[in-house]
Order: sequence, then C-alpha cells, then structure tokens
Amino acid sequence: MRQPSVRARRVAAASVGLVLAVGAAACGPKDNDAKGSGGDSTPHKGGTLTVLNAGVGPTENFDPARLYTSGGGNVPSLVFRTLTTRNRENGAAGAKVVPDLATDTGRPDKDATVWTYTLKKGLKYEDGTAITSADIKYGIERSFAPELSGGAPYLRDWLVGAADYQGPYKDKKGLSAIETPDARTIVFHLNKPEGEFPYLATQTQFAPVPKSKDTGTKYAEHPVSSGPYKVVRNENNGEHIVLERNTYWSTATDAERKAYPDKVDVKSGLDSSVINQRLSASQGADATAVTVDTNLGPAELAKVTGDKQLASRVGTGHFGYTNYIAFNPTVKPFNNVKVRQAISYAVDRSSVINAAGGSALAEAATTYLPNQKSFGYTPYDLFPAGKTGNAAKAKELLKEAGYPNGLTVTLTHSNAKNFETSPEIATALQDALKQAGITVKLQGLEDNDYSDKIHNVKTEPGFFLAHWGADWPSGGPFLAPIFDGRQIVKDGANFNTGLLNDKSVNAEIDAINKLTDLDAAAKRWGALDKKIGEQALTVPLFHPVYKRLVGKDIRNVVISDWTGVLDISQVAVK
Amino acid sequence: MSEALVAAEAAGAGVEPVPGASGARQFWRRLRTQRAALVAAAVVALLVLVALAAPLLTAVEGQDPTTYHPSLVDSARGGVPIGSFGGIGGDHWLGVEPQTGRDLFARLVYGARVSLGVALGATAVQVLIGVVVGVTSALGNRWVDQLLSRATDIIVAMPLMIMALALLAIVPSSFPRPVLVALIIGFVAWGTIAKIARAQTLTLKELDYVAAARLSGWSTWRIARRELLPGLAAPVITYAALMVPANIAIEAALSFLGVGVKPPTPSWGQMLTSANVWYQAAPQYLLLPAGALFVTVLALTVLGDGVRTALDPRAASRLRVGTGGKREAKAAAEKEVES
Repeated sequence: MRQPSVRARRVAAASVGLVLAVGAAACGPKDNDAKGSGGDSTPHKGGTLTVLNAGVGPTENFDPARLYTSGGGNVPSLVFRTLTTRNRENGAAGAKVVPDLATDTGRPDKDATVWTYTLKKGLKYEDGTAITSADIKYGIERSFAPELSGGAPYLRDWLVGAADYQGPYKDKKGLSAIETPDARTIVFHLNKPEGEFPYLATQTQFAPVPKSKDTGTKYAEHPVSSGPYKVVRNENNGEHIVLERNTYWSTATDAERKAYPDKVDVKSGLDSSVINQRLSASQGADATAVTVDTNLGPAELAKVTGDKQLASRVGTGHFGYTNYIAFNPTVKPFNNVKVRQAISYAVDRSSVINAAGGSALAEAATTYLPNQKSFGYTPYDLFPAGKTGNAAKAKELLKEAGYPNGLTVTLTHSNAKNFETSPEIATALQDALKQAGITVKLQGLEDNDYSDKIHNVKTEPGFFLAHWGADWPSGGPFLAPIFDGRQIVKDGANFNTGLLNDKSVNAEIDAINKLTDLDAAAKRWGALDKKIGEQALTVPLFHPVYKRLVGKDIRNVVISDWTGVLDISQVAVK
Repeated sequence: MSEALVAAEAAGAGVEPVPGASGARQFWRRLRTQRAALVAAAVVALLVLVALAAPLLTAVEGQDPTTYHPSLVDSARGGVPIGSFGGIGGDHWLGVEPQTGRDLFARLVYGARVSLGVALGATAVQVLIGVVVGVTSALGNRWVDQLLSRATDIIVAMPLMIMALALLAIVPSSFPRPVLVALIIGFVAWGTIAKIARAQTLTLKELDYVAAARLSGWSTWRIARRELLPGLAAPVITYAALMVPANIAIEAALSFLGVGVKPPTPSWGQMLTSANVWYQAAPQYLLLPAGALFVTVLALTVLGDGVRTALDPRAASRLRVGTGGKREAKAAAEKEVES
C-alpha cells in the first residue's frame, strides 16, 4: 500500500525552492534583470496562480478520504484543513508538525495510546456553517469505506477495533475508537503507543466532512472546503481544477497558509518536457505558473544553468528519500555478509550520482536514513567506499568469502526511465563493480513487473535497486516498514526486503514509538539506523535533490524539507 | 519506404528468369552505370568494414564502449560533457556521452555492429521463411496453398511493432538480446516476401523448361531447387535489399522504446533514446546516432533501388545498357552500311 504513496509524495515534494531563488534575484546584483514585474519583492494579494502538472495524481480523486499525501499535500492543503499540518518554513524548520484546526499538536496520555485534540474557535466551511469535531470523526470514518479507498494504512492499523471497519455507509454506529465529547473536542484511542500520531493527523483523512453534504464517491467533484480556497470547477476527475477564495476562511484561525493569489488554476496530464519548456519561456499566464510534480532532468538542468536568468528561477528542495541497493539474504551468494560488505565497499557513488543526474540532483548516501535532522540523521559510513569505490578492500573480502577469483551476480532493475531504479543506474554500478572483480549481469524488468517481483517474498531477487520515501519526516515510517520483522508479509506486498527479523531491532522500534518527545525519538531512530546498517542488508547510494523552475513573476517561494517542493499556500504572483 | 517496396514487388514479379553466370555479369554492368548506387554501395561497404573493425578502431583510439569517465563530465550541471563540442579531442574523437563519460566514437562503431548485424540477420530470417512459405504454397495442393496464403495474410496484416513489443516482453532476458531482436523482426515481417515468392513460383511453374523437368520425372524438391530458385533470385534479392534499411529502422525503434538490445551494449536506437533529451544541452550526442542512421538507411535504400533497376529488364533497356553496347554498335554499323 505504501508504494504508491511514495510516488505521490515524491511528486508532491519537489516544487518549493524556487521562490527563495526568485526573491534573492530581486535583491541581487544591479545587472540582474530577472526580477520579474518590478523591483518590489514583497508578496501581495491577488492574481491567478497557474499550476502545470504532469501526473493527475496530486488532484485525482479529490476527496479527502482518498488522497494519499504527506503533510496534507500541496494542492489538497489549499482546500482541506486538518487537525495538524506541516510548518510552512524553508528547510529543516519546515519538517516540524504544527497545529492547524486544533489548538495544539495533540495531548497524549502517559503511554501515548490516547490522543486528545481541541478545535480552534470560529472555524467555518465555505458555506459559513461551523466545523465540529464530529465532522472530523465522520471524515476519518468514511476513509474506511471500501469505495473510498486510497489513503494510507495507518488509521486501520492504529485505531482500536478498526481493522475490519467498513465505513459509515455500512456501519452506522461508527468507530468507537474516536470520541467527540463536545463540538470542539476529539479523542483517539490507539491499540499501541504511537508517539508520532501528530504527524499522521496532517493527512487529508483528518479533514472535516459535513455528513449532510457527503455525496459518497461523488464528493470528490465538489468537496466542502475548510481551507482558503473552494473548488469552483473540477473536470475529468481532477485533470483541470479551478480554485477561488473561500470567503469564510480567515487568517485569524490559520497561521500557516498565506493564500496570496485570488485564483488557482491547476492543469494536469501535461508532458513534463512541455511543462519545463513553458516555465522557462514564461509567456502570458505561464509567467505566474509553477509545477508541483515536475523536476528538471539532467539535460534540462545543463541548459538552465548556462542561462543566468533561468538559473535564478530554479528552486532547490530536499525530500527525505533514499535510493539504495537491496539484498535478499536468502539468495546465494548474498547470504554471506562478506559478499554484501564487498559490494558495499566496491560501489562508485560518483558514477551512480552522475547517472542519477549529477551532483546537483543527487547527494551521496552512506546512511539508510535521509540526511535530515527530523529523521534523526546520524552520519556513519560503515564500509567506506570513498567517492569512486574501494576495489582492493572489496577483493580482500571476496577472498575471505571464498571467491578469490571474483564472482558473477545478477542485478535486477526496472526499465523505467526514472533515474532511480533505471538501467542507467544499474549500468553505472555494473561498470564500478567490474574493478572489484564482480561481474554484474543486468536483469531489466518492465516497471510493474519489477515492483511486483521485489515486493513478494516468493519472487524477490537477491540483488536489486530500490528506493524508499517516508510518509512523514521521521525515522519511524522510514525504518519500521523495511526492518521490522513483524511486518514481513508472506503473501502480499512485503517491504521488509532484507527479511530482517531481529528481536532487539523490533523491541527498539516499539520503545521509540512510545516516545512523544519527537526530538528524542529522532535521535534513537538515528542510532537504530546505524545498528541495522552493520548487517549490510542495503547499500545506500544517494538522496535525490529536487530542482524546479517557476514562472518569472512568482514570488515567496518556500521549500521545506518535509516536501522538498515549493509550498503552493505561500506563493504570490504579485 | 512502402512505395519503394511496392515498386520492387511489381518489378520483381515481372522479372524474367535470369540465367546464371552471364546474368550476374549483366547485372553488374547495369548496376555500374548508376552512379548513386555505386556511391551508396561504397558507403555501405565502408559501414560494414567499420562495424567489423570496431575493436581495432577503438583500440587505435585507445577507448572502449563501456568504461565510465566521471571526470570528463560536469556533475554539477547534470553531467554535461566538459569541453567544446561534447569533449571532442585526441582521446575522444567524437566526444563523450553526457552523465557517463563513455566514449562516443567507440559506442557509435560498436553500435554499428548491432544495428547492421540485427538488420542483416533479420533480413536473412525473413528471406528464408518467406521463400520457403511462398514456394511451398505455390507448389502444394489447394489446401496447403489456402492454409499458407491465409497465414501470410495474417502476418502481413499484423501490426509489426506491437507484435515485436509483445514477443520481446515475454522472452526471458537471459536469451542473447541482439539475436532475439533479429529473430523477432524476422518472424513478424516475412509476409510480403512470401507473397512475392508465391506469385513468382506460380508464373515459373507454367514455363516450358519447368514442365520439361517435371515430365522427365524430377521430384518436386529437385525442381524447386534446380529450376525455380534461380528464377526467384532476382525479385527476392531486390526486395531483401530494401528490407535491410527497413529492419535497421525497426531495430532502432525497438531499442528506442527500451525493448531492443540491453545496456551496456550500444546500439544506434538506444543512443537516440538517451540522447533525445539532450538536444539542446549536448546536440552532438543526438546528431551522431541520428546521422549514422540517416546515412546508413539512405545508402541502403539507394543501393536497393539500384539493384532493383539493374535486375529489371524494362528499366535496364531505359538505361541503354545490358547488351554490352552490342546493340548500339550493331545499329551504328547498319547505319553505316545503309549510308
């Protein structure tokens, strides 16, 4: 279930850095003529923001029950307010969770199994009616209805007695795990300690839905807004969405969203090269356009960096994401830890990074956790390969493992041209491992086939390219699905591809989940990451960096480490 | 392309059986007078030579097609080659590939091996299947003919690219890829050649010398081998010459779609795929495989056209050759006598 979310999030993450760069350009050297519509870089209200997207993903099934987002998404967050949300700040500060509809990020009981929230006063929908805690409960309940599937699996896993709940249409009694003692209070009962519950409460399933306005699967056409904009047009299931101001929304109750433009016009299903071409030309309405899902590719970056005016319109963002080599230790010769270590030593990260688009689009990774504070990043390099690989050390280990004359292995990858698990990365590794006497045969699979094979314990190859992005910026959703032995799925989608079932690791995951001090938890996730790293079940390769263009009149670009992309709620076009 | 093929088919079907050795000499004389065909033949010969000598040429250059040179690309700028014109210089005659720094000259000449090898292999398969099916169909009884003709119709009607894509997807990747691509192109595109072979065989088998052979008790197999095949040579060679460039284009398209030969084996189609996003930042990267494909396909097509003309007696008479000038000499002599 988590796989599509990872993609969606990656898409959501990439557009934030531009505004910063534009602002900087405006106060930069005098000869810089890239300052847009005037020397004044302060953002103003008004105008129309155009959003050009490649995939329909970020706006498809525009129903808060069905969207799979991180931190509430980008476009969705303009319409749906949630109990908590992400801090709309640049960089690491933007990886914090802050209150949204609630007055705080949640009050846990002693062991973090009961979470209580109080709604702010004066919250209203687009029709002026009041938002109540019962509406939030109803919104969560309807995400359990089979016809409104699509959200993350956490609510079903965490809420008491929710495992078999079929939603409010079939089960009128509702979820007893959620209590609403009064119109402003809501209490969640969890079946185990979850210190990271405030992160989960940022997802759109926590948006209020008035029961009287619920139209089931048709709700996506016109969901009732609690945010600064309401849907005035929704064509082809989210392919073209037009948003206009919700006059009942007020900055008095919303400290996060700036909502400068009067209108937001979201067009999806465009070719990604067309999007970048239009943004770089910035003609007409495209001068006030951004994208929430299209990065600059290596060739486009090469062109843009050669042009000062274009380069000043590129935003840079970091999203918590790791691309790595995965081993299946039940397949020979990868059952031998020395073979796994030898490969760890032999990788040439500089050629892999070039294959991924170069140093501007990828940063070398030696840790499994992303290199960000909120994940508890603890630097370590257990099998130092240097920049270009340590072939001598690798050969030595292979000799100890019983392969004095080198060995031949098969590397499985996807044929998709995504610079992540693509033939380009695989070929770069093939060339690098040659130096260490390891002959790599490539097995390229069609992308869906590849995804099915690596996530099924029966078909999982021994040596393959993989990637992971978290559902929120913390070590929990990064380490637990991949390394918690109790999450190995025998028949179905399995993400613990290293098939690790280590009692001490499982116990530490449980212990950290009890912590409600997220900074303390982050440190422990970092330490756990290093401990797991010793087993050499993965070879971290790189963390991607997002580079995105914005139109020439775009201001106030804010890019957080939570999403890695420009935050639409902060952008101004005047 | 298709017009040329239709023309070739029409021309081929009308070709009279060409007797052995003197026919070849006549063919060469007719081909020789077409300057474009000669130039094309020279270009094709050069390309074949380059492809065969690829290891030698890259050894002279001191490079190979798969080694990465990360220091030759600007990592901070998406991996664009360092230096003018894509890093062209004494070490790298045609520059290096963006992102990897692999030598483009080496990849281009090794790519020629794949492109030409697959195209020729595929053509051989097409000719083999086409002739066998066509001749069997023409010589067999009503049922055999019906069955094979309908099978041929189905093959002709099938969308080639989609069939090839489907077949390439189901074969395990352990199978040698260039051989597989050649076989698959061969197996899905033999229909037209089978139709030509059948039509020609039907014409030939009514001729007196074939009837004579049959009357003297020769087996069908012997008749096919000794009497019919030489007669089929002209139309089949003509058509095959035009199939080669078409097959090169198909291989390029399949590799372009990512189902052709697998990395790191270079092929022109594959180079085009990776290069097509670089047309602005590193144009030479796109121009090299595109230019190589263009020259090769053009040369082969012109050559194929020349072969068709040389084998077609009607076209040959327009060329006023093929009689060794004897006719003109005779006419001139007669004229002289008259005066």
